[in-house]
Amino acid sequence: MTETRPLPTALMMPGNVRAGQVISLVEIAGSIGGKVDVPKLADELGADIAVLLPILDAAEMLGLVRTEKGDVLLTELGLKFQKTTRNKMRMLKDRVATIEPFRTALDLVSRKKVVTAQDVADSLAEIGLKWHYKPDLNEALVRTLLIHWAIYADLLGYDGKSGEFRKAQPKP
Amino acid sequence: MSQQQAQPLAGTTIVAVEHVNLDYHKEREPLPVLVDVSMTAKRDELVAITGPSGCGKSTLLRIVAGLIRPSAGKVMVLGSEVKGPRADVSMVFQNFVLLPWRTALENVLFGLSPRKDLTEEQKREKAKAALEVAGLSGFEDVYPGELSGGMKQRVGVARALATEPRVMLLDEPFSSLDDLTAERLRKETYTLLINPQTSVQSVILVSHNVEEIIELADKVVVLSGRPARVVGEVEVKMPRPRNKKSEEFFQWVDKVYTLLS
Repeated sequence: MTETRPLPTALMMPGNVRAGQVISLVEIAGSIGGKVDVPKLADELGADIAVLLPILDAAEMLGLVRTEKGDVLLTELGLKFQKTTRNKMRMLKDRVATIEPFRTALDLVSRKKVVTAQDVADSLAEIGLKWHYKPDLNEALVRTLLIHWAIYADLLGYDGKSGEFRKAQPKP
Repeated sequence: MSQQQAQPLAGTTIVAVEHVNLDYHKEREPLPVLVDVSMTAKRDELVAITGPSGCGKSTLLRIVAGLIRPSAGKVMVLGSEVKGPRADVSMVFQNFVLLPWRTALENVLFGLSPRKDLTEEQKREKAKAALEVAGLSGFEDVYPGELSGGMKQRVGVARALATEPRVMLLDEPFSSLDDLTAERLRKETYTLLINPQTSVQSVILVSHNVEEIIELADKVVVLSGRPARVVGEVEVKMPRPRNKKSEEFFQWVDKVYTLLS
């Protein structure tokens, strides 16, 4: 009898989704009335369904949309997000902080001041959360996610020379 | 990015391309590429140049930038003839042209390196401000290889804006980006550049994407033929923001395609 490990229950940001894609999705869904079926949205975005679905997952995870019987509906937060013209991601700061790998990175940064993507990837791997089975590619995906989401959301700062993340400096 | 020089009034010609010819030379024989090309870009205008692939659109843009000397004719920017690269004209390239071993901030600083009138600290402030305008606050110490295509192009825009140019030249700036990123950046481009907060007074965009041109341009200059000539100009008199699904939008697209075909 083989032992089965429990599936991870944490929210995990899809490794191939960038903040800009979620912003585009919400803006386009909003521009066509806030309710649109998935194939039409894919057509409007010029994206394959395979590309669109993880972006939709990310938008749903962030509370910007909900999907119902094949339709995508903007939530109240999504409508507000669509209308905001600058620093949209700062609006989602608290939500991004609840999703992995950002949650663990913030936890490590609060204790160690600076962390590398490797530290975050190792810590998550210990609880079974990985974006890729190869350690080097997993670390690269974690680093990319941290750069593309956590900096935009003003959660982390990053120094490319040392490869270290730290708590973001407060911005006006 | 405040400007202290006197600002030309709306409608003033900022860029004038006057009877420009360009010949390349093949085995000592002149090979004409551009023939008698004239066009203008006025204050607060975004002018698009379009035409078939290889017709010389980007070459014309490089002549405006002072990177290529025309065989005949001249280009005037704010009343003075372009005789080489100049500080009041900046260019954003299709493939970003970033130095991979320099961070985003260092790439923007590189554009400011000829400015002897600024201290290093002033250059850093200007570079940081340009990155913020381009939507990259917080990404100063990130290397190009760690950025997405859209973010790399934002660094390219920041580098061009940091020099406080009067004229911004965009060479197919969205064609290396995925559709989603390109759409978002297109939406931001017009308001980012034609904006009293920046120094930019005219923008010239080269693109082969007619829908993109109608979305952005106040005027379209159509090049065609070999050698290329201006076969027509279209003033896009459509309010902004422009609805790409509207019948009116399709009519403007059709006008440009008619000139191209």
